[in-house]
Amino acid sequence: MDVHSASRRLLDLTGRWRAGAVPGPLAQMLLVAVGYYAAARVGFAFTLQPHPISTLWPPNALLLATLLLAPGRAWWWLLAAALPAHLLVELQSGVPKTMVLGWYASNCSEALIGAALVRGFVPGPLRLDSLRKVGLFLLCAVLAAPLLSSFIDAALVHLIGWGESAYWDMVQRRFAANVLAELTVGPLILTWAAFGVARLRAASMARSAETAALFGGLFAVCLVAFDLPQIDAHVAPALFYAPLPFLLWAAVRMGTPGAASAIALLTVTTIWGAVNGLGPFVDGTPADTAREMQLFLIAASVPMLLLAVALEERSRAEREAHEQRLQLTHLSRVAMLGELSGGIAHELNQPLTAILSNAQAAQHFIANKTGSPEMLSEILQDIVLADVRASEVIRRLHSLFRRGETEFRPLDVNALVGEVLDIVHGDLVTRSIEVRRHLGASLPEVSGDRVELQQVLLNLVVNASEAMSAGTAPGHRVLTVCTEAEAGAVKVSVIDSGPGFTAEQRERMFEAFYTTKAQGLGLGLSISRAIMRVHNGHLWGDANPGSGASFHITLPAA
Amino acid sequence: MSYVAVVDDEEQVRKALTRLLLASGLDAESYACGKDFLGAIAKRIPDCVLLDLHMPGMTGLDVLRELRRSRRALPAVVITAHNEPEAREECLAAGAVAYLCKPLDDRILLNTISATLSRASGGHATPGGR
Repeated sequence: MDVHSASRRLLDLTGRWRAGAVPGPLAQMLLVAVGYYAAARVGFAFTLQPHPISTLWPPNALLLATLLLAPGRAWWWLLAAALPAHLLVELQSGVPKTMVLGWYASNCSEALIGAALVRGFVPGPLRLDSLRKVGLFLLCAVLAAPLLSSFIDAALVHLIGWGESAYWDMVQRRFAANVLAELTVGPLILTWAAFGVARLRAASMARSAETAALFGGLFAVCLVAFDLPQIDAHVAPALFYAPLPFLLWAAVRMGTPGAASAIALLTVTTIWGAVNGLGPFVDGTPADTAREMQLFLIAASVPMLLLAVALEERSRAEREAHEQRLQLTHLSRVAMLGELSGGIAHELNQPLTAILSNAQAAQHFIANKTGSPEMLSEILQDIVLADVRASEVIRRLHSLFRRGETEFRPLDVNALVGEVLDIVHGDLVTRSIEVRRHLGASLPEVSGDRVELQQVLLNLVVNASEAMSAGTAPGHRVLTVCTEAEAGAVKVSVIDSGPGFTAEQRERMFEAFYTTKAQGLGLGLSISRAIMRVHNGHLWGDANPGSGASFHITLPAA
Repeated sequence: MSYVAVVDDEEQVRKALTRLLLASGLDAESYACGKDFLGAIAKRIPDCVLLDLHMPGMTGLDVLRELRRSRRALPAVVITAHNEPEAREECLAAGAVAYLCKPLDDRILLNTISATLSRASGGHATPGGR
């Protein structure tokens, strides 16, 4: 068997493990076994001799996090996968086999208790993406699971008769080591498994540089604070706060994966210093050192994790609100274009008529042999012109129909007004509305999203034309659009000769779902005002002194 | 040669329709608005008018009503780029002989004009075929 087919076979055996895909069952078991073994080695390395229990015991936390990611039916074989690794690592340490198996049972019990409790509240794989879920994780996986399993563990140790520690001492030490491990390893696995890796791959250069600076800085600060020999007792308390800015940076800028990673780095460097007799936690007995260090790390980790998820939840809510605003804006725009469909058909039918009649005229000229080449050339030129006009109508409609992000660009307001009046030209013609333009000369450009500002102006023009159609006799329907520069801003006014509005309508017209039309959602003006707010502009309406209404928008000059 | 007037505010449409009529052997003249057309018929009365419905200021319907008010028996074919059933009824009631939607197929347009001219002259008046 050549290397290629052997590796393919291995991949088949371990499930199709492509980039971004969930590993197959065998690969998962292999990962659990390797992870458990490595985590146990870390646990042993982080034991303060002759203190028998590790300061940080990560294998149980790794098992618990794995169960939280896996479906319930996979739990048993995932736990089974840890057994060979457990035996391998524990039998090397000269512990009796019954005790080794007892510890395997208590380790599994911690993972099972935590996973079952969490799964009871949150069905399916756990994502630490809300305060509620992180709160549940802290209560069930970080607190309850280590506590309950520590009673089981200590009881087994006593039953088997291994060691000389008192029952409550054992419970207390194992509980603390496992709480810290659950707090360090659990979020690390859960957050990176859910979205951390994908986020890393998609990160920009600037983001990657920021991440490198953050973790480089945190590592350096942790080394100075926790891994230097003979720390001056006067300086030591201040050093505890040294990593805080980096932890906050991680929580605020990198979300839960960032916070979890920063917590893990802080934990590892702190414990590494202590087990090597370095840093501030070396004065007391091993038991005191372990307790102080665990309390410090737990106290630092919990708020950071909660802060990260709270910020993430808030930014998600903001993103959702932004997305909803875009959706609503788009829907309202499409609905308005639907109302304009007759006018749009008019605008397209005109150039189509010119194209068809010109082409058929040319056919007649050719058939009659009466058309000169100059005349035919002129006809073709007119066909091209009409085609360009039709394409322009379609292009403008396409940009209005399309849904996109708000993009700020420098815009010429007069050009914007011209485009809007072109779009609505057919509608105005069919409603017999006369258009008057008073466009100011040399206006400053404004910064805005072309489509959204077109939507605002379209809304004002359509409202005006509908008001005039309903309440003003043909021949008296006049739409005036004015633009002018005004104190660092550009003002656009849309003035109609319709029936105007009442004081009550004036009060309520910018409310969502308020409409005076027989067919209308009542969203146009409220969405237009929201768009203006995003553009740092204003939109307001006035009743004209005689009759009709005026709506004005102002946009700051770019 | 029969003379057909084209009244349409859209220059491209006006030009194209006038060309089509000329190519079909009719005499044709175009006007950009109802007011210009009504002013011109004092000098030369067309045999038929192609009248756009939606024009700024004076609409095709206004022109029809003005023709009726001035008691001019001028056959008018209303053309529109925006089809509305109510407008068709209104135009036919106001005296239009036909109501056609843009874009206009030359056979339908020329047949309509031909039938209109024929009815007006009481005989057969066909535009030059292609």
